[in-house]
This record gives sequence, C-alpha cells and structure tokens, in this order.
Amino acid sequence: MRHRSYTFSCAFSLAVLTIVAISPSAAQPPPHPQVTRAPAKTPAIINPAPTAQDWADIAKLPDWSGVWNPKITDQDAQVKTNPPPWNEEAKKKIDHMFAEEKVGRPPLVFFGCFPESHPTWMLVTHNAMEILFTPGRVTMLGESDGNRLRRIYTDGRPHPDDPDPTFHGHSIGHWEGDTLVVDTVGILPQAPLAISEAAGIPNNGDMRVVERIHLADKDILHVDLEIFAPKILTKPWKTTRIFFRQRARKFDIVEGVCVQGDYSERVDANGDHVFVPVEKTIWGNIVPK
Amino acid sequence: MKQFLRSALVLTALGGIAAGISSVAAHHSTTMFDHSKTYTISGTVVELRWVNPHVSLSVNGTIKDSEETGVWVMEMTSPGNLVRAGGWTRSAVKAGDKVQVDFSPLRDTSLKGGALKKLTIVDTGQVLTANIRAQEMPGLE
Repeated sequence: MRHRSYTFSCAFSLAVLTIVAISPSAAQPPPHPQVTRAPAKTPAIINPAPTAQDWADIAKLPDWSGVWNPKITDQDAQVKTNPPPWNEEAKKKIDHMFAEEKVGRPPLVFFGCFPESHPTWMLVTHNAMEILFTPGRVTMLGESDGNRLRRIYTDGRPHPDDPDPTFHGHSIGHWEGDTLVVDTVGILPQAPLAISEAAGIPNNGDMRVVERIHLADKDILHVDLEIFAPKILTKPWKTTRIFFRQRARKFDIVEGVCVQGDYSERVDANGDHVFVPVEKTIWGNIVPK
Repeated sequence: MKQFLRSALVLTALGGIAAGISSVAAHHSTTMFDHSKTYTISGTVVELRWVNPHVSLSVNGTIKDSEETGVWVMEMTSPGNLVRAGGWTRSAVKAGDKVQVDFSPLRDTSLKGGALKKLTIVDTGQVLTANIRAQEMPGLE
C-alpha cells in the first residue's frame, strides 16, 4: 500500500512538472530580482509575570476557598418557578423532552460524556466545584468530568475578535467590590442550554452569559446569571444558582473522568491492568449480565 | 405543525444518535427507574465500581418475596456525592460481603438493574444511603 502511494506521488509530481514546463509563463524571462522583506509581524502580547503586589492583592479578595456543592433542590424548583423564556420551537422541544422523561425515557442531554458546558454547568450540575484565584485569573474546577473547568481572565483583556468556540466559551471578569462580574462569549452552538439532566437543547449560536458571583452568606455562594441565547429564547433569562461550602477534608474533590464510567477495571491475560468496555443501555445504565 | 414535525424529527435523530452508541457514559436523569417501586435483594457483593459519573454496585442474590436469583446492578451518583451522602468510600463494601439492598428497578423488566436507595451491610449492620439532596447544607462533617 505504501509502495502504491509512492508510485502515485511520483506520477503526480511528473504531471505537475510537465504542466509547468509547457505553460506560457515558463517561457518568459524571470522577473527582476527584488529585495524580499519579512512580512510585518503583529507584536506578540506577552502575559506579564505576576509581581509580589499582584499576589498581595489576591489576599484582599473575598474568601471563596473550600468545596462548593450545588443546591439541587433549588435547581429542581426553578424548573417550574423560573423557566427560561423559550421561543416557540424551543418550547416544543423542551416539552417533548419532559414528556419523555416523565414516561421513563429521559433524553441524554450530556450523552458521550461531553462537558455540561457553560452556563449549563452552573445551572444543573449535581457535582462539587472549587474556585482558585491567581493574579489576573479566576479558575473554576468541577468534579466528575476531566475537562470541567472555566478560565476567567481578570487581567483586563478584552474578548478576542473571533474566539475559537469552546464548551465553556471565553470569559473575562472584573471585581465590583466583592462581586466577580463575568462576561462569556464564544460558546459552541452545540452546547446545550439545559434546565435539568433530561431537558436541554443546543443554544445554536450567539449565546452570551453575564454572571455576578458573590457570597450571599458566610458559606453560601450565589451565581446570578443573565443568559442571552437569541436563537432559542425570546428574551434574556435571569436566574440565580446557589452553592454551599464544605471544608471537611474528606469532601476535597478527587479527580473524576466521566468516560471512565464506560469501562470496567480488569487484569488481562498478560497480567496488565486494563480498562474493558462495559455494555450500556441507551439511557446510559450498565447492562446487567 | 410543520415546525413541530421538524422538531420531532430532530429529537428522533438525536435519540437515534444516542441509541446508536452501545457504550455511553453520561450524567443522566433517573426516570428510567420506576421510583414508585422498591425491591429488596439479599446476597453477596460482586463488585463496587467506584467511578464517575455513576458508581455501581453489583449484587448476586435473591429478590425478596420472589424466587428470582441472579446478579443485579445498582446505580448510584458520583463518588464525590456518595462521600457527602455519608459513609461511602471505594472500600465501603468488597466482593463477597453479605448485603441487603433496597432499590428501584429499571422500567425495562428484562434487565436486572436498579437505582440503589439503601444498602445494609449484614455483618456490621451499617446502613448507607445515596440521596444527595438529603444533606444540602454547608459545614458537613
């Protein structure tokens, strides 16, 4: 196969050379030599090394250390008390999903272990998160999915003109007193806007999220969200999600990789510790054998 | 009506994609289990799979008030959430331990699967539950 590819490559090269040799331009004298210049380079933006003062300023921020768990009962309640203003087509899809869930066929909004994405992670997660402050940056790390993390730049940078679409988008933030205000764009159009693990649809593009994150009490964190999703909502949707803090060491977040659930840990005939795929139902449950 | 049909087609296609994947992990709702029913199985632990996104416990035993025996697989929440639910670790039970498990069965009665509600370790009497909504408060110890 490799030999055949090589033969084809040689034949193709000969054909190209032949075409070049008989083309009119090949018969003309070569142009005068010109001085070539390297194309002008846009100066690279260098992220400055943090100073001692930058680190000292971190100490002035509110204490968001510890492990934050979502108040799931409030998520449940808001499904009815504060639904998103879905547009007509989106509402039909969501209603259908709820109907399916009700009769025991819950749609897999997060099938394939794709990230819950932003803002859906904030809206419906059942898992803990932690929040790290470093100079110019706030980082949110979530439990259960290997790639559940958000990078929020607080160094004053703007959004890129054309950010690469990602599951969690491009986030910039600034502090207003003890409140972190975050603006996020560049979210993949496939990322679902979900209000439960069984009800969510792709945002279909142009989604923007503004958050105001602050302590509502000593161990209670509020994430006030305003979600602009013009392809599926009739107007911006406001909601608040509640997280409560744990400090006991036994609740420290341990690495979790969602796709690991697709495999069992076994030792093969060679004595190697390996992962072996498990069979699952279409609903994501392990098929008992 | 045309829009509705188009929506239905999209959802059907989505379902088709999901159904086409024979092995798929995901965070998911639990209404594939019939939560109006509670079965109890007595038997021995085959395996505790301490993995995200859903821990599972397989038990070889007999369903109460039934002659039915076999290996049943009980699904739970994630490891981190089980720790917070109380008492769980990856070694909370091990293969061969005698246990009694209350669970809600899959609606698909052709499959021996369920959602664990309560685990009792027979030798110690220790009871473990898996309700992550039961302890929504800060400062747990």
